[in-house]
Amino acid sequence: MSSLKVAIIGAGTMGWVHSDGYRNMADVDLVGILDIRADAARRLAASKDTAAFTDMDELIREARPDIIDVCVPTYLHRQVVEAAASAGCHVICEKPIARTLEDARAMIRACRAAGVQLYIAHVVRFFPEYRRAHDWVASGAAGRVGVVRAMRGGAFPTAWEDWYVNVAKSGTVIVDSMIHDFDFLRWCFGEVHRVFAKSQLGRDLMKLDHAFVSLRFRNGVMAHVEGTWAYPKGFQTELEIAGSQGLLEFRSGRAAALSSQFRQTEHTAAGVEVPESPLRISPYQRELEHFVQCIQSGEKPLVTAEDALKALEISLAALTSVQTGAPVVLHETAGYDQE
Amino acid sequence: MTKQPLGIGILSFAHMHAYAYADVLKQLPNVRIQAVADTDEERGRKAQAQYGGDFCVDYQRLLQREDIDAVIVCSENARHAEMVLAAAEAGKHVLCEKPIATTVNDAQRMIDACEQHQVTLQIAFPVRFSTPLCRLKQTVEEGRLGRIVAIRGTNHGQNPGGWFVDPVLSGGGAVMDHTVHVVDIMRWLSESEVREVYAEVDTRFYDIETDDCGLLMLEFENGVFASHDPSWSRPRAYPTWGDVTLEVIGTGGVTQVDALAQHLDVYSDRDGGYQHAFFGDSMDAALILDFVDCVQTGRMPSISGVDGLRALEVALAAYESAQSGRPVRLR
Ligand SMILES: NC(=O)c1ccc[n+]([C@@H]2O[C@H](COP(=O)([O-])OP(=O)(O)OC[C@H]3O[C@@H](n4cnc5c(N)ncnc54)[C@H](O)[C@@H]3O)[C@@H](O)[C@H]2O)c1
Repeated sequence: MSSLKVAIIGAGTMGWVHSDGYRNMADVDLVGILDIRADAARRLAASKDTAAFTDMDELIREARPDIIDVCVPTYLHRQVVEAAASAGCHVICEKPIARTLEDARAMIRACRAAGVQLYIAHVVRFFPEYRRAHDWVASGAAGRVGVVRAMRGGAFPTAWEDWYVNVAKSGTVIVDSMIHDFDFLRWCFGEVHRVFAKSQLGRDLMKLDHAFVSLRFRNGVMAHVEGTWAYPKGFQTELEIAGSQGLLEFRSGRAAALSSQFRQTEHTAAGVEVPESPLRISPYQRELEHFVQCIQSGEKPLVTAEDALKALEISLAALTSVQTGAPVVLHETAGYDQE
Repeated sequence: MTKQPLGIGILSFAHMHAYAYADVLKQLPNVRIQAVADTDEERGRKAQAQYGGDFCVDYQRLLQREDIDAVIVCSENARHAEMVLAAAEAGKHVLCEKPIATTVNDAQRMIDACEQHQVTLQIAFPVRFSTPLCRLKQTVEEGRLGRIVAIRGTNHGQNPGGWFVDPVLSGGGAVMDHTVHVVDIMRWLSESEVREVYAEVDTRFYDIETDDCGLLMLEFENGVFASHDPSWSRPRAYPTWGDVTLEVIGTGGVTQVDALAQHLDVYSDRDGGYQHAFFGDSMDAALILDFVDCVQTGRMPSISGVDGLRALEVALAAYESAQSGRPVRLR
């Protein structure tokens, strides 16, 4: 099979992560990096030995990508995805699918109309620890699942124009980060019935965000999801699934396979302790490989754009609950097709 | 000068914590377990043989004894009220197992009676004496966490069975059993009262008449928000009875506490596989020492009947919220 040509839009944190993934894939040609900041595009393009762009039309014309990979901030996903679709490119787009359901539906519509694929990068499904946990539940080993706990977070993210601070752009830790767990839990337990949430939103969200979300699934499972951008440093995840026949616990801190501390030298500053869980193929690369393979073979992806829309719906319900102080019941009618 | 030993009576061994408290009491100089009362005669006589003193089936007889200064009430939750009321009337100081009672009305009557008869009423929230939690309290008081933003708690356990799963005697399952400790700690740390409670409550692990799991979402009067998981969600294979964990998120940092973390991992082919060998300080011992000191010196109890009532209110509000599907406003 001939290799597919991919271009990345957005040379920030995720642009770097995705380009690392593509560079390790034999059947992919990384044909360009685009960013509105020319220097950011150039730096990443140079490190990956590819071309830098600042203009979409020029990128399409010159690099002729088959796939556009969207790594711009969440509130800008729609405009880039629509441009990619109208150019006839398949789309891989970072999660959350968008900041609003309206944008998300428009993106799905645009890609369907253009006959291109739209994949949303809910990477947690590609983390081996979460995959194992999902399979453990699916095998029935947990018995009847009662209470699930998920936690994710660390320091407040730093980014271009500090866009994570802006609620209208990022949707707070609930839309940006906890959506990973909402998608994972939906994958394991199906549709959510009721959402109740508390967070810093509406208190004083001074680059210190924290949230608790209570989910009740239609099948009766209850889940506690904690998301934080309130830690002084670091990043960690936790998962606990308790059923009538067994319990599964995961703490990223305890599963770190190596941990280093470095002494200060003439050339380097002393580093903080960095725990790692190294894998031959990173979950991000595994995810991108899967999407590329789906484009080549036409098979259904492990996570669809509709799944991403549903995860966004849960996030937005949690935001609403925080703002109203009341539980939010998700109706079966929600979703893409019942727009 | 030899002091009269402090005489203690134990009212029922229905709650297994009675054994832990009696073990501590037995070690103390100048303290004597004078009598044990238990409606379950076999259980009571066994305890008496183990801890000394006399035995009677009827606790009223125990309360008439002159050589008893204080009692420890470890009966089924729904029976706390009648025993504490009787003890107060008999002029005995009281350490009452948590939850204080199964209704707000009972709890209030207990508080009033102890006040009226000028006896100490302390509620057994030993977690306040856990050394790691005391260190957390100190960290908060020193201001090192800045202003508290949020608190997350868990108090998981296994299904204790017996009267705990009889709603008439227990007043509720996991939510009744495992909410009050952590809510008490949250009130203590935040120095604020719970304003609102939302909860999911259900029976999903066992075929029992009470609930066995729940999730509580709390809001305090000072704007701190919190969540708590009181579920009996630990399987039999779990290496401990459960957990008590707390995470405090402040503007100045974050502290996580796992009250049982001080342990050795022991793998033994001789003693049945894996053992989680706890080596931290005993919170039960600290609780009992505090109660004894409180009775001997006549000072105010560290954990009052009102503390017990406030925690109970939250557990009851959780049930109400789960019933109605709406948050319940307490104040
Ligand atoms: N899957 C994950 O684990 C994960 C982690 C972090 C972020 N994300 C998601 O990835 C996306 C990007 O986040 P990030 O942290 O990389 O942000 P970032 O701020 O680090 O990078 C965004 C980049 O986009 C560029 N940009 C802005 N507008 C543009 C436009 N119109 N066209 C082209 N480039 C433009 C900016 O110059 C910047 O370089 C977000 O949706 C975020 O939620 C996912």
